[in-house]
Amino acid sequence: MVGARLLETDERAVETRHQHGALDLARRLPALLVAAKEVAATAMHGVHGRKRAGVGETFWQFRPFVWGESTTRIDWRRSARDDRVYVREREWEAAHTVWVWMDRSPSMAYVSSIAMQPKIDRALVLGLALSDLLVRGGERVGLAGLTRALATRGIVERFAQALIEDERRGNPAELPPAEALAPRTQAVLIGDFLSPADDIRATIHAMASRGALGHVVMIADPVEETFPFTGHTEFLDVDSSATLRVGEAESFRADYIARLAAHRDAVREACLSRGWSFTVHRTDRPASQALLALRMRLEAGQGGA
Amino acid sequence: MFGLPLAFAAPLVLSALALLPALYLLLRITPPRPRQIAFPPLRLILDLPPREETPARTPWWLLLLRLSIAAFIILAMAGPIWNPLPPGEGGRGPLLLILDDGWPAAPTWSQRIQAASERAQTAGRDGRTTGLIVMSEGGRDVLLADAGKTLERLRALKPAPFIPDRLAALPIMQKFISSNKGAETVWLSDGLENGAGRAFAQGLREAAGDNGVHVLMQDKPALAIAGAENGVGALEARVLRARAEGPSQGVLRALDMKGVAIGDARFDLGAEREVKARFDLPIELRNEIARIEIVDEHSAGAVTLLDERWKRRRVGVVSGVSADTSQPLLSPSYYLVRALSPFAEVREPRAGKGDPILSMLDDGVSVLALADVGVISGPARDRLIKFIEEGGVLLRFAGTRLAASSDDLTPVRLRRGGRVLGGSLSWDTPKRLAPFERESPFYGLNVSDEISVTRQVLAEPEAGLPGRTWAALADGTPLITAARRGKGMIVLVHVTADTTWSNLPLSGLFVDLLRRTIAIASEGGAGSTAGDGSNVAPQKAESLAPTRTLDGFGALGAPPLSARAIPANYDGGASADHPPGFYGPADALTALNALTPDAQLNSLDLSGLKLMVDPLRKAEPIDLRPALVSLALALLMVDALVSFWLAGAFRRGWRRPAAAAALALMMGSFTAWIPQPAQAQTAPAQVNPRDREAALQTRLAYVVSGDARVDEASQLGLAALSRALGARTTLSPGEPMAVDPARDELAFYPLIYWPIVADRPLPSAQAITRLSNYMKQGGTVLFDTRDALTARSGGESSPEQLWLRRLLANVDVPELEPVPRDHVLTKTFYLLDSFVGRTAIGQMWIEALPPEAERANRPVRSGDNVSPILITSNDLAGAWAVSRNGEPLFPLTPGTGRQREMALRAGVNIVLYTLTGNYKADQVHVRDLLERLAH
Repeated sequence: MVGARLLETDERAVETRHQHGALDLARRLPALLVAAKEVAATAMHGVHGRKRAGVGETFWQFRPFVWGESTTRIDWRRSARDDRVYVREREWEAAHTVWVWMDRSPSMAYVSSIAMQPKIDRALVLGLALSDLLVRGGERVGLAGLTRALATRGIVERFAQALIEDERRGNPAELPPAEALAPRTQAVLIGDFLSPADDIRATIHAMASRGALGHVVMIADPVEETFPFTGHTEFLDVDSSATLRVGEAESFRADYIARLAAHRDAVREACLSRGWSFTVHRTDRPASQALLALRMRLEAGQGGA
Repeated sequence: MFGLPLAFAAPLVLSALALLPALYLLLRITPPRPRQIAFPPLRLILDLPPREETPARTPWWLLLLRLSIAAFIILAMAGPIWNPLPPGEGGRGPLLLILDDGWPAAPTWSQRIQAASERAQTAGRDGRTTGLIVMSEGGRDVLLADAGKTLERLRALKPAPFIPDRLAALPIMQKFISSNKGAETVWLSDGLENGAGRAFAQGLREAAGDNGVHVLMQDKPALAIAGAENGVGALEARVLRARAEGPSQGVLRALDMKGVAIGDARFDLGAEREVKARFDLPIELRNEIARIEIVDEHSAGAVTLLDERWKRRRVGVVSGVSADTSQPLLSPSYYLVRALSPFAEVREPRAGKGDPILSMLDDGVSVLALADVGVISGPARDRLIKFIEEGGVLLRFAGTRLAASSDDLTPVRLRRGGRVLGGSLSWDTPKRLAPFERESPFYGLNVSDEISVTRQVLAEPEAGLPGRTWAALADGTPLITAARRGKGMIVLVHVTADTTWSNLPLSGLFVDLLRRTIAIASEGGAGSTAGDGSNVAPQKAESLAPTRTLDGFGALGAPPLSARAIPANYDGGASADHPPGFYGPADALTALNALTPDAQLNSLDLSGLKLMVDPLRKAEPIDLRPALVSLALALLMVDALVSFWLAGAFRRGWRRPAAAAALALMMGSFTAWIPQPAQAQTAPAQVNPRDREAALQTRLAYVVSGDARVDEASQLGLAALSRALGARTTLSPGEPMAVDPARDELAFYPLIYWPIVADRPLPSAQAITRLSNYMKQGGTVLFDTRDALTARSGGESSPEQLWLRRLLANVDVPELEPVPRDHVLTKTFYLLDSFVGRTAIGQMWIEALPPEAERANRPVRSGDNVSPILITSNDLAGAWAVSRNGEPLFPLTPGTGRQREMALRAGVNIVLYTLTGNYKADQVHVRDLLERLAH
């Protein structure tokens, strides 16, 4: 018989195991380079240089020091060769911005006996791994509603820190903040999306109102798809105190599966209408599968799978 | 019930089992609590209309579990009993129990008593009285008693050590049955015909008439021993049983008078009723055997007691005739050996082994038979006289040599020449033997007419001759005479041991005569010691009082009051008056056994008598109630666990305190319920950590004197010595240890340094005892009086010396001497002349060596052990002691040159001496040893 349980409070907190899991997962994929159409067009985004001096990592040129500039910019090694003073200029590199959001609502703290991981673990690992990949690929990543876009190497630790601080503040929301994102940014939303379909649709439309693209990953526990329960059962809701006592659970299976399909169709439709992508990921599959799919989509740089 | 030995105390309760179907229905419609499952997508289906609300059925296995719990409880309430007591069959009349209580019943006695008790109890429950007939009590009238009285009487009964005659009980049994109509009769028989079994059964059958007679018989026939014989090479005994059934193998055990086992003999009856078991033991051991018993067969019949009659004597046979081995039938010793060997161990001198009489006496014979030996003289005569004085028996046979030259080793004076009867020059006919007189030890033996004597030696007629005559011819001339000499006896047969003078050696009487003679010999000095020998036959008491008798179980004990004395030559079996056991005075016990030597055990044949025969039941009634209640309780707990599980208690993890506590409580009650085997909690002996330290590493020790300065010097000195030992030798001792002989275990230290401080109190007596033990067990104590400067040799003893003397007053101190120059102590590591310390003039004393052998030119000497004591006055520790910086602590006297080094060397030598002993002394011989090994 399939067993399923909710995680205890201390079990679902963000911990180092999530960071380690995310880093392990990210290390297994090659560095992700988002080849956004916008980057190619405007040469303002992406890791490729703008062919002009600016803020970046790679060397561009030495130029003579101009009076009035800050002396800290002088490259003393080059300047020592002759009598003139040089400044080292780097190529201007600009990164793409990706906003990641991970659902940490109580319904995520759920694991069944046939799943590999609780849903919340899977969502956190996936989100943090993706952030790490993106940062290593030169992009800037931010936690929606929690941090600004960052490009630091220790992105996983930074995000974990931000998540822990947020957790202290109280119950996390079921949906991301419905704020319009800047154009040419991308959003990655990872969660179970079991809220009413209308709320989800409203959120996505709000976020995409300025033209941002996005990817929705719906994490589902296998029992949530297959409904393997039989016999006399009392179902408890997670977010509310609602219960449902049924004499024979198996008689509800067909109805439930139909309802679930309808719900997913509604969410998918809401995504596709804004050019976003939508995938379902089950926790009995390896996390790398979902990460690979996400990476493909991000590389393709377009929604609407 | 149902062919099973099962009964219920309250069978009506079983009707409650009919309620089980109702319970089934009830349980079926009250299902367990639903499983609770958290389900996040519940919102999606919350609004679905409820359908199919019929609850799920209770799982069938849970149903079965609960029903079986109910069934077990109902069964337990009904009071089931396994192997119930037999219900009374006899109806209304009283119960008559007839109990065979001879020794054959002893091995199964407790079963019999129990069976009888159960019958009596059953009868008592039905309000019937019980009469009891015990076979061994014979004709005692039957008293009717209630169950309690009968039980008391049954418990007091013990089996009798003989087989009682059942016919004695027949009349009273008949009387009882005729006066109590409708009596139920139960005969607990031992299954033996012995004791008129069938006749009794017939009488019982006739008396009981239509009322059933129940016979309970044991299935395993009793085993018995009879007819033990001390044969030529072995002691043999017959093992008997009545029927060829039951276990056939067993062990006979022979014990001596004190009850010490001498030997075992296996026997295997196979399908036989009788088999012989042999004890192959040396004759000396066989003669010690006083009791043979069948192991684990506790009855008087399984015990045979042996007395002097079973002892085999060692008889030496010496012939005066030169040995002619080609014609053995002509040798006088031939007939003797043949006649003696059934009951005695016969020794003959081997040819060419010096004086045959002396060699026989050296062999330790108890009877020496001399066939026609004329004169005995010289050392042989002296030895022979001594032998007789000390209790030996000299049995002489006449012959031409004896007739020609007699000596004084005869019971009577002999007339030279003897006489010839019925010869060609004589008018006499060969004489016959006269019947034996009452005084003769041969009295009772049949005299055959065929025995004739043609020639004999004649005794001088003198006073007392008739008293010494054991056998005479028809005309009154003595044929066998005997006389006591000291503790022993001389017996003379006035004819030859072969057939030349008489055909006596050919007759069976000859064997009997020799047997009696040797039996008398074995009684030795026990008989009368009438000074003049007029009464040579040992006084046989007319009757022998019982000394120790066997009870029915075969254990020797004080004789019962009913035991009577037996006549001297009693040869009947045991009976109520004469229980088996030892009779007679303690130094000449006569054994009476439960079975006569030729006894047989016969099976009781009850065929054709229409008696109900049942085996004696062994199984005891078992109350099944506790087992059933326990089982129901266990199942109840299983049910509780299952209910928890179905309700999901275990799925949410063990951290739920309530579930965990409930489970722990349940487990606890389980474990409390299971009887725990008693655990002998032997707390490991507390090992003092200090002792452990001391035992793990060899280290030096010093005795705490109580004077801080001296103790510091000892500590530092021994530490310095330990360092020196570690640096120079293979020994690396640990840190020196301070010990207090009153408190600490000393056994771990090879050497204890004891600086003497005169103004300290003496150690306690206990401490001195421990010190003494330490020295005896191989430890060495180095006493340092540190008074070389103050003490003067020959002068007054210094206080330290007095103190030491008082200390050693109660210690076993060996003889001491100053260390000799060649003592091994001077050579164990360094070659030393003296043992200096802070002072150099003191002397070192050591256990004195054994005096030097004359031709010993060894460079070194040692005793066989390490001297337990060394005494010096040079303050060794003071010389060794250095401070932490390596500076010497004390100045030396005189302090010249290498004194400190020499003191250390002395210390090294002393320590190595205590550890290696005389090893270095033996090292001197290494070259010789190697050379010897090489060749």
